Amino acid sequence: MANQPAGDSTAPAIEVTGLGVRYSLRLTRKNTLRNSLAHLVRRNGGGAGHFWALRDVSFRVVHGESLAVIGPNGAGKSTLLQSLAGIIQPTEGEITIRGRLSSLLTLGAGFDQELSGRENILLAGAFLGIDDGEIQRRLEDIVAFADIGQFIDAAIKTYSSGMRARLGFAIATSVDPDILLLDEVLATGDQVFRAKSKERVLELAKGAKAIVLVTHDMHWVTEFCNRAMLIEHGKVIAEGQPEEIVRLHETRSEEARRSVAALPA
Amino acid sequence: MGLIRAAWTDVWSRRKLIRYLVSADLKKKGRDTLFGNVWWVLDPLLQMVVYVVLVSIIFKRSEDDYALFIFAAILPWKWFSSAIGDAITSVSGQDRLIKQVQFPKIVLPVAAILAGITQFAFGMIPLAALLGLLYADRISPTLVLIPVVAAVQLVFTLALGVLAAALNVFFRDIGNLSRHVLRLWFYLSPALYGAAVVDQIGGSQRLIADLIRVNPFYPILNAYRSVIYEGAPPDWTALGGVLGISIVFLLVAVWFFKRVEPTFAKVL
Repeated sequence: MANQPAGDSTAPAIEVTGLGVRYSLRLTRKNTLRNSLAHLVRRNGGGAGHFWALRDVSFRVVHGESLAVIGPNGAGKSTLLQSLAGIIQPTEGEITIRGRLSSLLTLGAGFDQELSGRENILLAGAFLGIDDGEIQRRLEDIVAFADIGQFIDAAIKTYSSGMRARLGFAIATSVDPDILLLDEVLATGDQVFRAKSKERVLELAKGAKAIVLVTHDMHWVTEFCNRAMLIEHGKVIAEGQPEEIVRLHETRSEEARRSVAALPA
Repeated sequence: MGLIRAAWTDVWSRRKLIRYLVSADLKKKGRDTLFGNVWWVLDPLLQMVVYVVLVSIIFKRSEDDYALFIFAAILPWKWFSSAIGDAITSVSGQDRLIKQVQFPKIVLPVAAILAGITQFAFGMIPLAALLGLLYADRISPTLVLIPVVAAVQLVFTLALGVLAAALNVFFRDIGNLSRHVLRLWFYLSPALYGAAVVDQIGGSQRLIADLIRVNPFYPILNAYRSVIYEGAPPDWTALGGVLGISIVFLLVAVWFFKRVEPTFAKVL
């Protein structure tokens, strides 16, 4: 099933060594010709025109393991997932992925508002690079899991945000990935669907699949992940048992809050 | 060369995705308005009426059978300008998707441009009506050469569209600028006037006339006019020249696109 050799189960599913991602501020600023010309005239006097979203990040995830990545906003968690998914090229370091990878970064990213649910399943599948025959075969499963019933032939713009999230989740988890990347997607939908998606993620994890999960929901981390990693300002602060890392994260953010509060207004 | 081969693999392996994108695009364009795809027939006809009124009645500078004369140029030009417009925003408009999913971005401008072919094909309906109802004496076997000229135009459109789509990621001004550039380009192409007028301009304004002649749409529109209006075969040498230049341009554009593609997710 895997399009890349999954390798023997002893080789880690994900291997990251010395990963660094640098953003050029000059490029990320919404660019216009005016800005570029101004920069040319000023001979690029800015100097520090870039910053490292991630630096010196190394870790491994073996099959059957689910790693939670936690940290404050802007720590580089999403950048890490984007790099693992191959969306962003690392500036330095190396990422080795063994197995078929599926990412659930933001649900329904590939959805076209004007198209029907069914058409969107086919389109999203094609964007994700899932073989067309396979997605056709799984169409009924996806529709059933997303539980959108007769709305499947209505335009997505008529869907509630919960329906959209369910559909996105159903598509991304329909492919039996060896490696699943999840970004803050478990908090979507109603109670029933949340329970259902938890079940699905656990099922995937059990099937000797590796999971990397970014979340602010500490319950998830301690309950369902067997390892956690704390990153701050693009650097790995600690890695280990979920309970330990969550405690560390909580004390550190408490400290940060106190030091902000202590600042003179 | 490696990048160009990679681009070809991208397009070929994702042909299904391109097909879905094209059909999604067509569906949306049809659904948006009350008349739907009927606009693809009405649009060029109405534009033709505007120019007929403007040029032959107000400026009094028309040619024989002026309606057909300009329609032969308006049809391909509308195809070109809307395809370029769609291609420009094809990548930057999918910023959310590009940040969430890894896929070959080149399918976006390619799909945008391919979707435009349908629009051009629909344009054959009013052309047939115009020929059949008003200019039956102008119907000639050279009409079958329209797809040949269109193929040359497609190569050029792909090249420019792919390049513009990549540039617009870095410079959003391209979108604003393009509308004015396209309008000027239209007036500097032999659409409302023929080659004879260009020669006439050359008498006093050499530079402008030369500019019109180096423009790839000079041979392209002349070729359309030959096969539709004059019933004569196109100037093959000129058309072959445009094709050659367009192929080189396409390779350069695709190479550039693939070169900057890895930075799209960071810049958008």
